[in-house]
Amino acid sequence: MAAREDTGALRRWGQRHPTMTIGGMLLGLVVLASLFAPAVARHDPIKPSFSQRLSPPWGLGGTPAHVLGTDNLGRDILARLLYGGRVSLALAVAAVAIAGVVGVVVGLAASWGGGTADAVIMRVADVQLAFPVIMLAIAIVAVVGTNPLTLVGVLALSGWVLYARTIRAHVLTIRGLDYIDAAAMLGASDLRVILRHVLPNTVAPILVIGSSQFATMVLLESGLSFLGLGIQAPLPSWGSMLAEGRDYLSNAWWLATAPGLMIALVVLGANLLGDGLRDLLDPTLRNVEG
Amino acid sequence: MREQHSRPDHLGRRDFLAVTGTALALASAPALAAGQAKRSGEIAAGLSERMLTLDPANHYSISTTSVLRHLFDPLVDVTNDSKFVPALAETWRPVNNTTWRFTLRKGVTFHDGTPFNADSVVFTLRRVQGNAKLIKSFVYQDIESVEKDGDYGVVVTSKRPFGSLPAHLTMLGMLPASAGKNEEAFFQKPIGTGPFRFASWTHGDQIAMTANPTYWKPGIPKVEKVTFRFIPELSTRTAALRAGELQVIDRVTPDLVETLKGTRGVKVLDVPAIEAQRWIFQLGKEPVKDQRLRQAISLAIDRGVIIKELLRGYGRPVDSPVPPGLIGHMTLPPKVYDPEKARQILKQAGYANVSVDIVLMKDFYPKQLEITQAVAAMLGDVGIKLNIKNLEIASAREQRTAGTYDLFFSGWAHMPHDPDWYFGQWFTKAGSEKLTRYANPRVEQLIAEGRVPDAKVRQAKYEELERIVWDEDAEIWLYYTVAIYGVSDRLRNFEARRDYYVLLSDVSIV
Amino acid sequence: MKTYILRRVAQSALTLLGVSVLVFVILRVLPGDPARMLLPDGAPESAVAELNRQLGLREPLIVQYGLFLRSVARGDFGQSFQYRAPALRVVVERLPATVQLTVAAMLVTIAAGVSLGIGTAVRRGTRYDVAGTILAVLGQSLPNFWLGIMLILLFGVALRWLPTSGFAGWTSLVLPAVTLAAFPTALVARLTRSSMLEILNRDYIRTGRAKGLAERSVVLRHALRNAAIPVLTVIGLQIGALLGGAVITESVFAWPGMGKLIVDAIFFRDFPVVQTVLILSATVFVAINLLVDLLYTVIDPRIRYS
Repeated sequence: MAAREDTGALRRWGQRHPTMTIGGMLLGLVVLASLFAPAVARHDPIKPSFSQRLSPPWGLGGTPAHVLGTDNLGRDILARLLYGGRVSLALAVAAVAIAGVVGVVVGLAASWGGGTADAVIMRVADVQLAFPVIMLAIAIVAVVGTNPLTLVGVLALSGWVLYARTIRAHVLTIRGLDYIDAAAMLGASDLRVILRHVLPNTVAPILVIGSSQFATMVLLESGLSFLGLGIQAPLPSWGSMLAEGRDYLSNAWWLATAPGLMIALVVLGANLLGDGLRDLLDPTLRNVEG
Repeated sequence: MREQHSRPDHLGRRDFLAVTGTALALASAPALAAGQAKRSGEIAAGLSERMLTLDPANHYSISTTSVLRHLFDPLVDVTNDSKFVPALAETWRPVNNTTWRFTLRKGVTFHDGTPFNADSVVFTLRRVQGNAKLIKSFVYQDIESVEKDGDYGVVVTSKRPFGSLPAHLTMLGMLPASAGKNEEAFFQKPIGTGPFRFASWTHGDQIAMTANPTYWKPGIPKVEKVTFRFIPELSTRTAALRAGELQVIDRVTPDLVETLKGTRGVKVLDVPAIEAQRWIFQLGKEPVKDQRLRQAISLAIDRGVIIKELLRGYGRPVDSPVPPGLIGHMTLPPKVYDPEKARQILKQAGYANVSVDIVLMKDFYPKQLEITQAVAAMLGDVGIKLNIKNLEIASAREQRTAGTYDLFFSGWAHMPHDPDWYFGQWFTKAGSEKLTRYANPRVEQLIAEGRVPDAKVRQAKYEELERIVWDEDAEIWLYYTVAIYGVSDRLRNFEARRDYYVLLSDVSIV
Repeated sequence: MKTYILRRVAQSALTLLGVSVLVFVILRVLPGDPARMLLPDGAPESAVAELNRQLGLREPLIVQYGLFLRSVARGDFGQSFQYRAPALRVVVERLPATVQLTVAAMLVTIAAGVSLGIGTAVRRGTRYDVAGTILAVLGQSLPNFWLGIMLILLFGVALRWLPTSGFAGWTSLVLPAVTLAAFPTALVARLTRSSMLEILNRDYIRTGRAKGLAERSVVLRHALRNAAIPVLTVIGLQIGALLGGAVITESVFAWPGMGKLIVDAIFFRDFPVVQTVLILSATVFVAINLLVDLLYTVIDPRIRYS
């Protein structure tokens, strides 16, 4: 009896927050499928099969054995998508997390500290931003070598500034609000003011940026793969699949389209989830109709 | 280098027909003066490799050689079957092992009307030999002196035998001596003796040229204007051809052949190229230092499957380090696919779980990553783990120089249609010092002996040295490439060349 | 106000100097050297060493940087290693194509992104919102090259409505600009939407509605102005991205812009060209962000610039 009540409550909660639920489910599906790739995928993602090269997806001239078709080495695309998902998702999550934490901390420090701290930090950000990420990436990878940790570092490096600048702009706006001044006057310490009043107000933009950044990270990983700085063959990642499919767009479009759509799906899920979270956490939006 | 034209009447059949043809035309149509054939139309070509410079002496790129051939003439041309024919030089012959004598064509003028003569040749050769900043300079370092022999003769002496000099000269356009006054200004609007005149160019993007009405070959060129666009992106290059914006493109991949064949107005031309795709070893490093391991690797590779499935038949098995058509080519026992034997050798030699690194230069050769992954699977089957390192070009080359690689995906296109450069670079101690670290005194001696101008001697020396390196498995020769071009049906007389050059001077458009 | 401007300008100058030093050092620390990239594989080591010397790369780093600063002061950015022509000329040749593409993509981004953002915010929860969100997601996640090549195949090859590639006339600008704008449009749309939503429900907006002001003027005047801040931030950042990150679009469309120029130059180790492009684009980038910062103060006087 209690269990049914619980699921009922859960379902009602899900109906009240459709965006978040759909987003969460989409993401969850992809994450689970990737996690359980060995069980879900029916083929080896790495072993070539020369006679099966460039088979179209099932329903477009292909066979049910390869639902999404095969690539230029005859490998099953669905299998590569799932195994590749593990890599791409892990990299993107790690990079977004690191970039977010670094960016928020730096942004808060800059805007709350004011004066010299602000100037120095913003100058560093400017200098780094004026640099194409690609050049930084090439430099770092050339010196340190290609491995997933380096990749995460490079991705995170490209992302922190957006957080920092947005947080900073946001905080500068909020700082003038009365209740902040009131709290400060009442003797609340700086840190307390930040944690209790400022930070919660920055959650919304952080979440939105975070879900956008996720897509950026995945796409950046593909960009780095183009340049040979990403995951090394024959291990699949969505980025390297895009790169390998690039020359086949005219005659075997499914090679690049499959990972592209997968990325789109993940981004959609992340965005919806982010929007839903924002709705949930930002009280001012709770009673909005339509 | 096979034949020399020591006397003007030793013309090849093609030339003979051209001459008689022209004579007949002149005789039967007195109103049509030589060189006043009707020119019409424009051709736009798309090349995959960016052209970097307008200076024939300052590059070693295939596409630049292609394009500059339209602005400048060299002393010697090479036909598609590797025969050397006169261009600005009517004859050339070796006076002795270290001296070449050239007699020059008369009645040729540069685009500005000044006459072409020995001054131009002397200037061009002295310049490339003397200016170490020029990319081609190192090839001509053996030259000792370049002297005029009258207004239409040049004598070149070298420190060591330089039998391949005429071959290298096919890539060096002749400049007017006046270019020396202000080189930077000259190369902004260069003038040569070629079938086309420079019109405009944007660095690394495209170059436009207009017909030279006073070109010394009658009836050439056949079009008014030629534009070369540089489009490295394969899909874009083929799209432009299919949309009719370009009339010829190079470097089509085997996978796109069907797509192009299925496009109206477009056809595909292919020809076996004088290029070999090969994997080189770091011969100074364990474990590939061991010839048995190299042999096992070679046995484990199914080259037939690579050619049939990955290249869709657009590749040919290698039977000697030198491709057919060039001096030195021979038929050696083919490298077979025998994974069982490979396993035996590995077991006997004690290589239980050996792991080797292969370095690739990102996007340098078509399908290189695909082929490498295929071979990695093949090697995995016999117990060799291949780690793929697909690096940006500069980093890859750095590793090669430093010697921190086991295998390296490489290739060699014999641009001068002559293997001396290839052997001298990869199989002498000095040449391969920062490359493969190859060292074999007998081979080195044979290479030196093969530098003489005598073709028979060269063939014999090269055959002997090739047997040695073949048995040593000094390299993994994967396949000879096939050059595939996409060509519009509107073009007439386009020749698919084995050296990847796209030459349009005798091509017309309807 | 004046001190603020002066200070910001000084900061910008410092940024530029920092960039120049960073570029200089990073290039020379990278493995691989220019001479080896220029010379063919078949060149002897002596030729490589000699060419490096001729290119001035054997001097100590400080000396090289000093010489570099001195010639930049004279307007001489050195000779491109690849092209053997003045680096500045090689770069400037690419300016028209770059500027046109950047401006066109920016216009598309602002127009499409802001209107999509406002449209979906105002119609929140309806199927327009859903459609708009999906469109934004696609714009954000579909890879540049995929979109570009598909557009080429459709509009260039199949329909022959537009040129497939190259920089020739305004028709050739359409496809690359749309391709390049896809990602920033999506970003701007989403950010505009969320900012708008946030603002639309603040108290003073509700008060405005209660007072009977027309919905439209409420939206446009108050909401938009407040939503502008984060949007401007993103636009400022995106311009930098557009300038330097258009490399894939430029590759796909054979567009002779600076994005591809600089990436090729980095791979080729063509130091003078890399230095020139980075310093020039850093200058533009810094100038634009200076402008954005000044606009902040105009739009929202509450921002304290202690």
